Amino acid sequence: MLIFTLRRLNLFIFTMFLLTLLSFSLSFLFPGEQLINISGQVNATPKQLMVLAEQYQTDNNIAQQYIAYISHLFQGDLGISMASQLSISNEIMSFLPATIELTLVALFIAMIFGIPIGFIAAIKHRKATDNIILTVSMLGYSIPVFWLGLLAILVFSIQLGWLPSAGQLSLVFEIEHVTGIQFIDILLSDSPYKWQAFQDASAHIFLPACVIALAPATIFVRLARTAMMDVLDSQYIRAAKAKGLSFRQIIYHHAIRNAMVHVIRDVGLQFANLVTIAMVTEVIFSWPGIGRWLIESIFQRDHTSIQGGLLALSSFIFIVHIVIDFIYAALNPLARESRNGA
Amino acid sequence: MARDKIYLEEEFPSPLLQLWHNFKVTPVVMIGFSCFIFLTILALFAPFITPYTSVENHLDFLLLPPAWHEDGNVSFLLGTDNLGRDMLSRLMHGTSLTFGLSFVVVLISLGIGVVIGSVSALTSGIKSSFLNHFLDVILSIPSLLLAIVIVAILGPGLSNTLWAIIIVLIPQFVHITRNVVTQEFRKDYVLASRLDGASSFRILYHSVFPNILEKLISQATLAQSAAILDIAALGFLGLGAQIPMAEWGAMLKNGIDLFYIAPWTVYLPGLAILFAVVATNLVGEGMRHALKISKEA
Repeated sequence: MLIFTLRRLNLFIFTMFLLTLLSFSLSFLFPGEQLINISGQVNATPKQLMVLAEQYQTDNNIAQQYIAYISHLFQGDLGISMASQLSISNEIMSFLPATIELTLVALFIAMIFGIPIGFIAAIKHRKATDNIILTVSMLGYSIPVFWLGLLAILVFSIQLGWLPSAGQLSLVFEIEHVTGIQFIDILLSDSPYKWQAFQDASAHIFLPACVIALAPATIFVRLARTAMMDVLDSQYIRAAKAKGLSFRQIIYHHAIRNAMVHVIRDVGLQFANLVTIAMVTEVIFSWPGIGRWLIESIFQRDHTSIQGGLLALSSFIFIVHIVIDFIYAALNPLARESRNGA
Repeated sequence: MARDKIYLEEEFPSPLLQLWHNFKVTPVVMIGFSCFIFLTILALFAPFITPYTSVENHLDFLLLPPAWHEDGNVSFLLGTDNLGRDMLSRLMHGTSLTFGLSFVVVLISLGIGVVIGSVSALTSGIKSSFLNHFLDVILSIPSLLLAIVIVAILGPGLSNTLWAIIIVLIPQFVHITRNVVTQEFRKDYVLASRLDGASSFRILYHSVFPNILEKLISQATLAQSAAILDIAALGFLGLGAQIPMAEWGAMLKNGIDLFYIAPWTVYLPGLAILFAVVATNLVGEGMRHALKISKEA
């Protein structure tokens, strides 16, 4: 386990190095002056610019500039937004939790629907059920998410009026911003309408989360189907059959557990895809998340925000990726060390 | 009865032909393939066969519903949008923008990716390990996010979007080329030609490429469905194709405000994207299935 952890740590450091390098070089690539791009001080006087140049060491060579940039990052200073002149780290802190909440709920929905359906498809391999599931899943990951979002709003919010179409929580409820994750904030607050607020937040998150979840769910269906078919093909299942276990026993006690492990390995890879979908969905559902903020920043040519947002979002994805790797390693001894079997 | 072949001859079709034989067995896949061909033809000839140009305004016929509606007009088969532009013509022009350009984009990034991938497969050591890590990092950043950042550098616009998507698609081609070339190089037939004194490049070009082409094509179809969705998504966000262009995503964006009074301006471009992506995915699926069959056989 130690070697595994060290290897992941190594990968993490390397990735963070590349990501910071990318975001650092963006300040040169964006149009405009590099010092202003990296700090966001659009209205700085020449004197302030001198101080900034000193801080970011623009007169020194590129390596020292990079080190200066990194030390700013470690102090939590990502500069200020060129559009609103607010601190970017504060902005990210207020927008990122909403995205985390939305993506995790969507991931959860995708997993609880996608994986069992994939298992069913594998068990009914080459029967009508399997074909129907495969056809529907093909449609599911072909639908453009922005179109699906619009249709969902039209049907469920406008025509049927069941669910709200925009935002995170109705404005009637006053919930203090503590963690930024709405559900936790509601539970922490001492509002007398806690329960109503909780219901309202659930109604708000349901539609966007389902829209985001559809495409990853269909991919989970396929992953789960392949994993289950591999497991059902294996020797130990044959051994279990030979011992006289019923089909139900084999599925519940042996097949599902082993197939789950393989599916979980790929969840991390799918997460990046899910976040992409979430960014577009946030725009449609006016969700106050980092994706919408990032896209707005592009329209405002807010280069400092784009750098910060990219860094925050990709670190978030990568951290989730590594966490899932650890869960996978914890579940599957084979992945930790090769001497555990194989 | 004359027999052309007297001797029993065993035929060895080329890998690509073999793929085609396995590919055409499944009827659903062939339907998808026909749709794909149809879209390709449409993308090539759209400007010649559309009834109107994509920007021609008919101010007497604003927001006309499709012809089967009782207010519809048969000269505008799929209705018109808020500026009186014929939806059918716009959708057909959009085929060459969204579908046709996605094809071009994939071809370019396939070319670049294969070159980088095969070079990296032939090198080893720190350079290749660095590249591997680097690719992993790039692949872990969501494609649309990366495209958005590149568009932010280059500025909004269709051509910049295309460059962005080309750059975004390259890593996966590098990755797959690298993997399959390394795999092939371990095989005996490569050793045989190496013993004949062939250089690495010659082996790569004459022996390995014909054998990995099918895998690359299969990856390319998957990449194309992603490219269609990305072009449309960027158009929808207003970062890609700009206002008068008939790109499907941009058309959808244009229709949002009219969604409630003229739903067809949103339904139709969305359906067009869905149709193109499903057709591409079907071809890709069929290709993967055929690959699996020829591997098992």
